[in-house]
Amino acid sequence: MATQVQTRRDSADWRLNKRFYVKFIEGLADTQIGPLYIGVWGVLAIAFFGMTVFLILFGYLASVGYNPIRFVREFFVLSIEPPAPSYGLKMAPLAQGGYWQIATFFLTLSIVFWLIRIWSRAIANNIRPTVPIIFTAAIFLYAAIYIIHPISMGTWNEAPGHGLRAQLVWANAFSIKYGNFYYNPFHMLSIFGLLGSCLLLAMHGATILATIPLNSHREIDEAEHSTAGTHKAQLIWRWVMGFNATATSIHTWAAAIVVLAMVAGALGVILTGKIEPDWFHWACRAGIVPGVIQAGAGNVPACLP
Amino acid sequence: MLSFEAKYRREAIDTPAIPLLGLGLFKLWIGRFYVGFWGIIALLFGTIGASIWLWRVVLLDVTKSGNPLVNFVRGQIEAPSPDIGTHFTTDPAKGFWWLVVVACATITFISWMMRQLDISRILKMGYQVPLAFSVAISAWVTIQIIRPILLGSWAEGFPLGVLAHLDWLSTFGYRFYNFYYNPFHALGVALLFGSGFVLALHGATILSAAGKKKEGVTDHNINTFYWDFLGYSIGEIGIHRLAFWTALMCVLLSNLCLVLSGTLVQNWSAFWNFWNKLPFWSGF
Repeated sequence: MATQVQTRRDSADWRLNKRFYVKFIEGLADTQIGPLYIGVWGVLAIAFFGMTVFLILFGYLASVGYNPIRFVREFFVLSIEPPAPSYGLKMAPLAQGGYWQIATFFLTLSIVFWLIRIWSRAIANNIRPTVPIIFTAAIFLYAAIYIIHPISMGTWNEAPGHGLRAQLVWANAFSIKYGNFYYNPFHMLSIFGLLGSCLLLAMHGATILATIPLNSHREIDEAEHSTAGTHKAQLIWRWVMGFNATATSIHTWAAAIVVLAMVAGALGVILTGKIEPDWFHWACRAGIVPGVIQAGAGNVPACLP
Repeated sequence: MLSFEAKYRREAIDTPAIPLLGLGLFKLWIGRFYVGFWGIIALLFGTIGASIWLWRVVLLDVTKSGNPLVNFVRGQIEAPSPDIGTHFTTDPAKGFWWLVVVACATITFISWMMRQLDISRILKMGYQVPLAFSVAISAWVTIQIIRPILLGSWAEGFPLGVLAHLDWLSTFGYRFYNFYYNPFHALGVALLFGSGFVLALHGATILSAAGKKKEGVTDHNINTFYWDFLGYSIGEIGIHRLAFWTALMCVLLSNLCLVLSGTLVQNWSAFWNFWNKLPFWSGF
């Protein structure tokens, strides 16, 4: 069942002899753990990420008076908040947001080192760097939220705090502050991409699982020379909806729809504030707001004249 | 037709029909499309529902703009008024057309799933595709049928319109104070982002080795790449299992977060009041 059997027989790679297995997931997924590559970029990424986590967790502990029970009880609520708007883009005192600035700086560095690490590992393993290229789309969204939008507004206060509830509060308040993000057309596109990625994931996963006995899951071989499993996987969608992808092109669709979600989301955040301060007013000007908003028990008028 | 398609069509025709379920009846193709008994039902009810929506929203010019595109985006068929409860009404002002379109859509979706089941059966493959689609239908049924029935009013359903349903969604969150504090919503969103994450990784991974192949590149290169950078390679079967369950659990948890709102939980902020009252740290 585990596909590992095949590769073990095929290859004399030393990494197949230095192995540690988790037996209990046999029949669900591959069982081999590691060997993990560290390397200089790995050391840098892990070190800076570790410092970010240390700063955040130590900040949490300090804010509950080093009390472990309060630390656990309030873990979801604790947050390292960005500096107040009065500090602008300048460095704030440590306790008034300086820790947030340092933690975010280290986090950004660790993400960049992680990107370089993935890139170098792709080259080292003789495959194209597609994974790190797609990863840059996610980094673009991160940069839009934590760096580009705050700089465009002239204050780090626009960025989310480092806390579990803080991110939810930020997402909620950000939408309301800029006039309801549901009316932001880039947000719409981003949600389309995100819901679409869930749909595509279910379709692809289901199609391959349904044809595993015919080896459709061996996608790299199938992309070169398709066999019965891939033929059936293509025919079900051709017969259902008149269109089918191939073993290669379905993965292009997959990567493209996630890149759409990330890039459209990032553009939506970047345009918010300086360029469009109120997305509901934008929608009223564009004439796409329904006449009434239905609110469970009754209707209220939407756009003011 | 694809180069290998004729053989599978011949095999499909030899598969016996199951008349009571309608599977394998009307086994014929129009162009690329398989027809089948459930295809006819889906086409019939889909056409009725879509025609009613286009007639009510676009042809009747609900927004008084005279512009079909504006009507398409802004127009809506409103959910029934609260005073009819979960009864049927023939009064167009009280939501008759909403009831008809929702019924047509539900029948169409289920027929489409049966059609996928039919095609899976004649292709002799597993039934994961109709299973996954039935989970997608469960979201529609939960929001438009189960939850309104639990709350005793069709008015709880969402209006049928492109932007109108965004408004409904936005308002829905605030009706229960703060949907961001709904833990099942949080899990659903985490799995939605997770879907994007898994899909991007899987798509990019296959693209990095498939297509115009470098000499000697196999799935072993993918395994060593993932051991190197994550310390684990889930494998070719494992990734598709992960994909399937990430996407399905995302929808199922979203169903739970919606069906609990208004039935058992009225205020997702106050829902968390239990947290500080847990026995092991209460009074601390």
